[in-house]
Amino acid sequence: MAREDKDKRRDKDRRKPVAPGGPSLLAAQTPAVVTPPPRHVYRWDLDKTYLKTEFDTLKQLLRSAFEGAAAKQSVPGASALLRELRAGGGARICFISGSPRQMRRVLTQKLRLDGVEFDEFILKPNLRNMLTGRFRAMREQVGYKLPALLAGRSGLPPETRETCFGDDAEADGFIYSLYGDVIAGRVKRRLLEEILERAGAYEDDAQRAVTLAESIASGEAVQRIFIHLDRRSPTSRFDRYGARLVPVFNYFQAAMVMFEDEQLTAPAVVRVALEMVDRFGYTVEALRNSLQDLLRRGRLRRTTARALAAELTEGGIPQLGALPSARELLLSFATRVRQLGDVPSMQIPIDVPIDYLAALEADLPRKGKKRTDIAPPL
Amino acid sequence: MDPRAPVGTRSVTVAVDAMGGDHAPGEIVRGVAMLSLEAPHIYTLLVGDGEAIGAVLSTVRHDPERIAVHHAPEAVKMWEKPAEALKEHPQASILVAAQLVADGAADALVSAGNTGASVLACARTWRKIPGVHRAALASVYPTEIRRGEKDDPFSLILDVGATLDVTAEDLVAFAIMGSAYAARVSKNPRPRVALLSNGAEAGKGPPEIVEAHRLLQEATELNFVGNVEGVDIPRGTADVVVCSGFVGNVVIKMLEGVSETIVRLGHYASKEKILWRAGLALLSSGISRLKEVTDWEQYGGAPVLGFDKLFIKAHGRSRARAIANAAKVAAKAVQAGLAEDIESALKSFHSRRAA
Repeated sequence: MAREDKDKRRDKDRRKPVAPGGPSLLAAQTPAVVTPPPRHVYRWDLDKTYLKTEFDTLKQLLRSAFEGAAAKQSVPGASALLRELRAGGGARICFISGSPRQMRRVLTQKLRLDGVEFDEFILKPNLRNMLTGRFRAMREQVGYKLPALLAGRSGLPPETRETCFGDDAEADGFIYSLYGDVIAGRVKRRLLEEILERAGAYEDDAQRAVTLAESIASGEAVQRIFIHLDRRSPTSRFDRYGARLVPVFNYFQAAMVMFEDEQLTAPAVVRVALEMVDRFGYTVEALRNSLQDLLRRGRLRRTTARALAAELTEGGIPQLGALPSARELLLSFATRVRQLGDVPSMQIPIDVPIDYLAALEADLPRKGKKRTDIAPPL
Repeated sequence: MDPRAPVGTRSVTVAVDAMGGDHAPGEIVRGVAMLSLEAPHIYTLLVGDGEAIGAVLSTVRHDPERIAVHHAPEAVKMWEKPAEALKEHPQASILVAAQLVADGAADALVSAGNTGASVLACARTWRKIPGVHRAALASVYPTEIRRGEKDDPFSLILDVGATLDVTAEDLVAFAIMGSAYAARVSKNPRPRVALLSNGAEAGKGPPEIVEAHRLLQEATELNFVGNVEGVDIPRGTADVVVCSGFVGNVVIKMLEGVSETIVRLGHYASKEKILWRAGLALLSSGISRLKEVTDWEQYGGAPVLGFDKLFIKAHGRSRARAIANAAKVAAKAVQAGLAEDIESALKSFHSRRAA
């Protein structure tokens, strides 16, 4: 009986045109209702980017697979940031994750509990991969994520910009950069085929990626890539991907960069910080150190920090929750900026063509080889 | 309080002189990076060349939420004369760091740099605890006997070089400060305090030692066990050994020299005869354990006691692990309220004497 219910539900899901959490990978390509194209697309990875997932051991993996939605923890500030992006209007929010499709219900429930709305929710067909003997595909990410991202992109006009969010646990920096450069036409067919082959993608996945790449309207779509440094990886590890990719240690940093990119307003930045303080116990010390870190790394201009402060002073800071008074807060942040003195910020990585084959070796080494650009253990 | 900090701990900010030490700034910054991942309740304020600090941080795993940088454009070199160096470099990292601690931007200071310049920077910017005339540099030394709640294998020796010429009153203050430090940091509730002399009898030693002995016998705040000789230091007869900076410095350097000679002899023996090498191989786990216990990198650095703020002087050759441990010791002492403890113990001693 329970099985019949499940089957009925699945059939019902199949009939949905572009339902959040729709089961088909390509479902988003064929909307039944004609809606205006989104102004901006935000693509999010799930584990370690939105969710604080630990799966370094089998025990952690099992716990993560079986825990309920309420038990799952989001990364501090992630849900507030997503709500702010949605509130900006004209945004399409798409999740793409390597988690198995069987986790759809619990994961989407978690997002709803956090008040996060989304338009696409793509999970990996791991059960199918296992049953069809495609074991490599269960672990491999490029052959899964790249065609899925390109499928999500197809049909969108070239002027629709994108911001991608990933983490440092796997190869999100590599995949999102490749995705952006494929759309921009900087990665030619032969190179793409070689990358996919070397990444270990199955031939059909690789073929789909190449076909989709050739069908997409070319343009500089991917404006920004944020890599959440869940493992606190050295930031220099991502220099090869240029200035578009910004490694961030928390979402307050991402929010500040998005303020500079004119994607978020000053009060929205404060609301992200507030969630981190109120719900996750962040201290003002941690926030102001985060601001200083961004300035030091040259990922935020000092003029932006001043503009943010000015807007907040003029417009008034929203409800502060557990934070100290607005004046106190701004003074405390200003101290951290002053402490940098007249030292120039670090040179941000130069935008040169990315050597994807070298990046692949470094970020996704083949079996038996070690990652080459991780700093030696302390 | 930070949710990632252990329950019951309050966050502490430690200023670290990024430019001091033989391996600065690389190893110092790496030590702070290591600390940021290991101890979420400790914030660090790295003081030094902002550009050089940033360059190192970008190459190592770290948590920037726990680290702030304060740019200081100058530095005191290890070989410079303290007073002249501070005069010549008013923006030196050690002086700026000490001032930041004085201003309340940090709770304690760690430096592996020029010892004289560091102590002088603290003396110029910090307040001495009432009742303390001279600061003392304390050092730990591994002993046979373990002590305290943590089974600490170290005894504390002070002064080891900050004050060469001392009075009996200074020795008493050193004893009170050393006892408070051992009680708080080694969690040894009633540490045994002794005076270093040339005999166990009360009348042995120079006049200041004899007078200090008399005064310490009256100090009910302390667990004074009398005089000890040099041979008693490695035995661990006392938990806190008090002496002048001159004597302490000679003692500690000699003990270090003996340890190094033993290691060299071991190397020599292993090369000389196969049988000796085999013997050493059989003892290897014991030797490793001994090395672990005597490894100064494990216990961080030497506290400078007598100021209202805490300064931990790390070894000039400190690498990342030693710096991280020195900052942990500093944070622990701050959390335990060491300066307040010393102040109240000294107050109690002096008011009882006055009465």
